Amino acid sequence: MEASKRQLAMVMDLNKCIGCQTCTIACKRLWTRDEGMEYMWWNTVNTQPGRGTPRDWEKSGGGFENGVAKPGQLPTRSEFGEAWEYNHKDVFYGGKGKKAHLEIQGEKPEWGPNWDEDQGGGEYPNSYYFYLPRICNHCTHPACLEACPRKAIEKNAENGIVTVNEDSCRGYRFCMEACPYKKIYFNQAAKVAQKCIFCFPRIEQGVANACARQCPGRVRFVGYRDDKNAPIYKLVDKWKVAIPLHPEYGTEPNVFYVPPLAPAAFDENGEIDESRSRIPMEYLESLFGPAVNESLAILKTEMDKSRNGEKSELIDLLIAYKWKDMFGGFDKDPATIEWVKS
Amino acid sequence: MRAVYAKTELESLLDPESGPWRAQAGESIQLMGTPVGLQPTEAIRVAWMGKTIGAIGSVRVAAIHNGDVLAFRLDWEDPDEDAEVLDNDSFPDAAAISLPAAEDAPMVLMGAAGKPVNVWYWRADEADSARHLTAEGLGTSRTLDVKTVKARGIWKEGRWQVVIAREMNVNTPGAAQITPGSEIGFGVAIWEGSHKERAGIKAFSVDWKQLTIDPTNAGGKA
Repeated sequence: MEASKRQLAMVMDLNKCIGCQTCTIACKRLWTRDEGMEYMWWNTVNTQPGRGTPRDWEKSGGGFENGVAKPGQLPTRSEFGEAWEYNHKDVFYGGKGKKAHLEIQGEKPEWGPNWDEDQGGGEYPNSYYFYLPRICNHCTHPACLEACPRKAIEKNAENGIVTVNEDSCRGYRFCMEACPYKKIYFNQAAKVAQKCIFCFPRIEQGVANACARQCPGRVRFVGYRDDKNAPIYKLVDKWKVAIPLHPEYGTEPNVFYVPPLAPAAFDENGEIDESRSRIPMEYLESLFGPAVNESLAILKTEMDKSRNGEKSELIDLLIAYKWKDMFGGFDKDPATIEWVKS
Repeated sequence: MRAVYAKTELESLLDPESGPWRAQAGESIQLMGTPVGLQPTEAIRVAWMGKTIGAIGSVRVAAIHNGDVLAFRLDWEDPDEDAEVLDNDSFPDAAAISLPAAEDAPMVLMGAAGKPVNVWYWRADEADSARHLTAEGLGTSRTLDVKTVKARGIWKEGRWQVVIAREMNVNTPGAAQITPGSEIGFGVAIWEGSHKERAGIKAFSVDWKQLTIDPTNAGGKA
């Protein structure tokens, strides 16, 4: 595979994510409403620590180990979470008043895409959680693409977006085994693999991804990785505060995270212990690798500067005073998109 | 092996239990799992290293032609009928006949650059749309169309009986052309869905088997 000339990327600031799932719904409404896509959530937001979507995806292999492909598991539909049917008709139109309440129809599920929401980890008074939004990482070294025996997965040479060519895909699902982030779904109706497309039809018309544009928390930055005047380059390469999730998987993700800051922990006497973070550093290192220490240290330094009335380019960037500055030039109004029916 | 000439309608040829097929015992062909080292991607090689490839050990093959259409009947033991994809980790049973579409096209490698192999492919979950494929090496198979090849499968009492048929001469570049009275090579492959076999993970007949296409003046002895 030849390297793409440029790479589109996203940065998500976990300090601003409120877990509202607006991104999830923006994506769902736009891309995964066809038959066979009912259970798909190309964008997910899960509570950390947690088992995630699909369940226990971090323990399911794939990716690379010492540069060699590592076997991975195929997540089942129930591990992702089925699309439940509700008795909407009864509740909203059935004339049953308060006698009917919203209930899942059929078999009671034991898992779903946001099943362990807000459970988090730690013991009171040091309990903690944060939200982790995820999309396809549009990796520089995509395990999915390399696993496919049909070369049905393509990395766009101009912008690095990774897509499944559904005309070539025969539904063999080696990509699902190989993706260590478990961000590929199988469409049983169309018999092909499907995944986040980084909203390329919007991007092509200068409009940022739906998940980014719809985010009420100004969490997501979009743009070319090498655009030195735009936030991605500044957050990832200049300030080095945005880092990939599970870099040890070896796929070189192009979605980066500003890791979550946390207050100091309480000690056994209920006193604040400034030496320890409420979110254990070991836990953050297990997600983001050792780079998370430096990232948080830079954030703290710059926050202090800002508190002391000094100017901090980093903090100004993260606050995102100007919403449209987050989109690396992809800031056109979605209403300007000319949709072409295929 | 012979492809027997029989004046038979296509409908009857496509029914693996019809009279013309009952008269053909066919020949048992031993199958072997595809070598793991030949799998086209590293991810597949590491995933299947040390695992059994090729769950189906043998298949009984018979062939009939009616002057226009050449049909193969494959009959193999399979306790699990995998005719539907029920979940992400569920795979369908499948079978294919391959024919050289160029002289000395290698069977083991599914053809080579400039030496295509023509594949007639049936998959249990796509019962009504068998595929006509061409391949020039492992991992290169490409669908020519989904109309030319006709196939029908019946799973009963722990066995699949599948007929895969095609007109002997078709106007499709990359397709093998067959003439009554000639001798051709053919290969066969079976994928066992319950064993998660798909793509290059299959049981196959290793090398071309000889098939004599009876001339149409052979008297219709079926």
